[in-house]
Amino acid sequence: MDKTDIIASPNRLVWAGLLLLALAAPFLVGFDLYLIHVGITISFNVALATSLWMIWSLGVISFAHAGFMGIGAYASALVLTKLGLSMWYGLWIGAVISALFAMLIAVPLMRTRAVYFFMASWAVGEVIKRNFAYFKDFFGGWDGVFDIKPPVLDLGFLQIDFADRLAYYYLALFFVALTVWIIYRMNASRTGMIWWAIHENELLAQHTGINVFRQKVVCFTIACTLVGVTGALYAHYQTYISPKSFDIWKSEFALVHLIVGGLTTVGGPVAGAISLTMVDEALRATGYFRTIFFGVVLIASVLLLPGGLETIPARIRRLFNRKSKE
Amino acid sequence: MSDFLQMGLTGLSLGLMYALIAIGLTLIFGVMRIIQYAHGEMFMLGAFALYYWHAELGLPYWAGVAFSAGLIFCLGAVLQVVLFKPLQGKNILYSLAVSLGLVLIISGSGQLLFGTTTKGIPSAVSGGMLIGGAYLSYERIVISAVSIGLIIALWAFLRHSVTGFAIRAVAEDPQTAALQGIRTDRVHWIAFGIGSAMAAIAGCMMGTLLSIVPTMGFLATIKAFMIVIMGGLGSVIGALIGGLILGMIDSVVTTTISGDIAIILSFVVIFLILVFRPSGLFGQNWD
Repeated sequence: MDKTDIIASPNRLVWAGLLLLALAAPFLVGFDLYLIHVGITISFNVALATSLWMIWSLGVISFAHAGFMGIGAYASALVLTKLGLSMWYGLWIGAVISALFAMLIAVPLMRTRAVYFFMASWAVGEVIKRNFAYFKDFFGGWDGVFDIKPPVLDLGFLQIDFADRLAYYYLALFFVALTVWIIYRMNASRTGMIWWAIHENELLAQHTGINVFRQKVVCFTIACTLVGVTGALYAHYQTYISPKSFDIWKSEFALVHLIVGGLTTVGGPVAGAISLTMVDEALRATGYFRTIFFGVVLIASVLLLPGGLETIPARIRRLFNRKSKE
Repeated sequence: MSDFLQMGLTGLSLGLMYALIAIGLTLIFGVMRIIQYAHGEMFMLGAFALYYWHAELGLPYWAGVAFSAGLIFCLGAVLQVVLFKPLQGKNILYSLAVSLGLVLIISGSGQLLFGTTTKGIPSAVSGGMLIGGAYLSYERIVISAVSIGLIIALWAFLRHSVTGFAIRAVAEDPQTAALQGIRTDRVHWIAFGIGSAMAAIAGCMMGTLLSIVPTMGFLATIKAFMIVIMGGLGSVIGALIGGLILGMIDSVVTTTISGDIAIILSFVVIFLILVFRPSGLFGQNWD
């Protein structure tokens, strides 16, 4: 696309600005290690929330999302600790295993609808987590898997060790940008429109010749693959994972990011994940009050800002229009 | 043989208590079509209200149960009017988000106010008896009797009282009910209050039998949702049967194999029920 195209569409301008800001962020915060850590956490949360939003384009919310993140993370971690292969292999193995499981589970899971889907997917996520905890010899039980080394990129002339936090930030940023871009493109494509058609009216979609069941399985599988990659990145960043890292709360917070951000465009989950992760980290100093404040912020944003953060530009525009009329 | 009887009796009393929590939740969903994720927090607050009344102030036990139920009824009604009323008719996700916020606030402030140590409520009756080699404490008998009594009372209330008729009418079709002159707003807060109060009474019973901590609400929410989904949302009889199934799985599998397997198995059972009956055992098809 050429330059005029960017200026013509304000959305692209915002996306480009956001990406530039994310690229420049470590310089802006003066390479503060804690703030870079916050940046990496934000990246993971954005990937989690946007891929959950992709499932939402079918009209359902999956509570098994953190579970599939766990599958990617465990697969990649075990490939390293048992087979000695680095993350460059583990990432793709994790994605493939996550995709296979997602496809197998989606076939029975997609029979359920609406509220029942929430709960059935919740059961799936919980069984995944409990299995990690139960098979102690293979998955390490509740103690989890230790010593998951970050990878080293050897280009011959240049060696990048991703144990360095700054390097990992850019790695995470690359994959998150890729995830968001894939989801954005899928959503704008014909397939994305088919998913929104299913979201609006499943019966009608079926009658216009859409294979609803197949589309649902495909969408679920793609979203779970993307979150599996995120899980692998998460495992190699934290260097330690346990079943507790992938419990229902993780899926619920991804849902909260979605709702606070807004449900109709991909910008919603991105905005929600960025702002709420920041709020959460800012409240860290308040100790016990952290969860209480977070709850208050959550309720207030749902009740006072229906539609989420993504409606703010439209609200501001409306405000100016009203003023110019007067 | 006596082992099986013991497991059966434990499972039955556990199942009845679970059913009591779940029926409150199913009532709230059936009438308002909202997900009340903070239902377990009502259960927790109910138990703590009895704890302060009975163990700290030394006031009589049964009056404490009534006090706790009344308190949580008012709390539920206020929450409905303040928080859930503006979300009426919106996507179910919004009520999920708001009640998730409530969970964070209530359990967070619970840990601040009540402390994180485990507490116990002294029970009202003591002793027990042997039935065919299985030991059954009077406490469990009383608790089961209270559960059965409350479930029958709720059923009779919904079936025969004027308010009960109104609640069922709103659950069936809110707009037609409003056209018939039923004040749906009033029905909403009454149903929310009753549902919460039932969770509070279940909390009192559970707190007497086991111990109480401010974080126990989350587990109760999980159990209640498992039961309600299994039985079908909005169905009282489904919640009762679902509660008994879950109680039996908990009791039998925990004693014969292990607690971890019991949880995995109960989730697998729910998943299978939903795959073969996508709206639960007795549920209608909500969209």
